[in-house]
Amino acid sequence: MKIIAVIPAYNEGTRVGNVVSEVAKYVEKIIVVDDGSTDDTAQIAKKAGAIVLTHIENCGAGAATMTGIDAARMLGAEVVVTLDADEQHSSDDIPALLKPITDKKADMVFANRFGRRNNIPLIRRVFNGLGNIITFAATGKWVSDSQCGFKVFGPKAVSQVDLRMSGYEFCTEIVRESAQHRWRTAEIPAKVLYSEYTLAKGQSFANGVRTALKILLRSFLR
Amino acid sequence: MEFTAYQIITPLISFVAIAYAWNLVFKQKKTIWEALLWSVFWGFISVIAIYPNSLDYLTAITGIKDRENAVMVTSLGVLFFIVFYLVIRLENLEQRQTRMTRKLALKDIDKTKK
Ligand SMILES: Nc1nc2c(ncn2[C@@H]2O[C@H](COP(=O)(O)OP(=O)(O)O)[C@@H](O)[C@H]2O)c(=O)[nH]1
Ligand SMILES: [Mg+2]
Repeated sequence: MKIIAVIPAYNEGTRVGNVVSEVAKYVEKIIVVDDGSTDDTAQIAKKAGAIVLTHIENCGAGAATMTGIDAARMLGAEVVVTLDADEQHSSDDIPALLKPITDKKADMVFANRFGRRNNIPLIRRVFNGLGNIITFAATGKWVSDSQCGFKVFGPKAVSQVDLRMSGYEFCTEIVRESAQHRWRTAEIPAKVLYSEYTLAKGQSFANGVRTALKILLRSFLR
Repeated sequence: MEFTAYQIITPLISFVAIAYAWNLVFKQKKTIWEALLWSVFWGFISVIAIYPNSLDYLTAITGIKDRENAVMVTSLGVLFFIVFYLVIRLENLEQRQTRMTRKLALKDIDKTKK
């Protein structure tokens, strides 16, 4: 199966190079979507061997991910792996996440950062729990780790996925799509790394509230 | 009990809105869950229209009783609607900008393919 990785990246110049060369062990091609970065993310990703697409303005992780999936489809991808550019996820988990797809047991696989022993700050656990609850309220589907950027889309999901939300709301939207199209889903425990770097870059409380409001507004207006 | 035009039209509108929502579910454009939320919302509105007395409870806690207050509540409603409308317009604008940016980015992939 033709497997392509999609990595949304916003000002991750110090990290994205490593991520690309690590992920390259497991996939055929890598698409990095540079989301209007003001640093050298694009050049570094290209040097590391990725196909780089550039948003001329910052649009958000959701828009970047969808651009990457669109591009992967154009390049004939059957399976798409998405992961963050900030070295939070471990590429060694990719085979485990791919397994339900290659076994034809699932159309979409979510990584579950809470499914194994991970050192996750309490505040992050709380935020992610709230994210799960909001996601459940808006979609009617429970996913143990709905807000994680590490996912695998199988052939059916790759051909059907169509995200409209541009920010972090896209994680909830993906759950919604999976419920709507009745994709068979699987959840696989995965490693996650919280370093000072990722914590400093991570989401603020205000950002979370805004994301939640957007999700509710959207699910009502559709 | 005598019905005013409002009490007849509102449930009709609600009915159309709910039917429309479930129609979208049927066409797989909306999830069952969203249609449920939507139905509860419109159901609530028609209940209020048919049994205005059910609002007595709200009156009790807000103290809205007489005509002057009704004017205020109405203008609040209008303001609320305007804000709502603006939020939607903003959303649309943002989406449009995102679409443009994404299209520009995807132009490059056509080039790399050929
Ligand atoms: N913060 C942020 N990240 C973005 C944006 N666009 C793409 N990304 C990428 O999305 C991924 C997740 O971002 P991150 O802030 O680490 O989210 P978290 O790990 O869920 O807290 C990273 O690979 C980012 O580089 C954006 O506009 N803002
Ligand atoms: Mg991160």
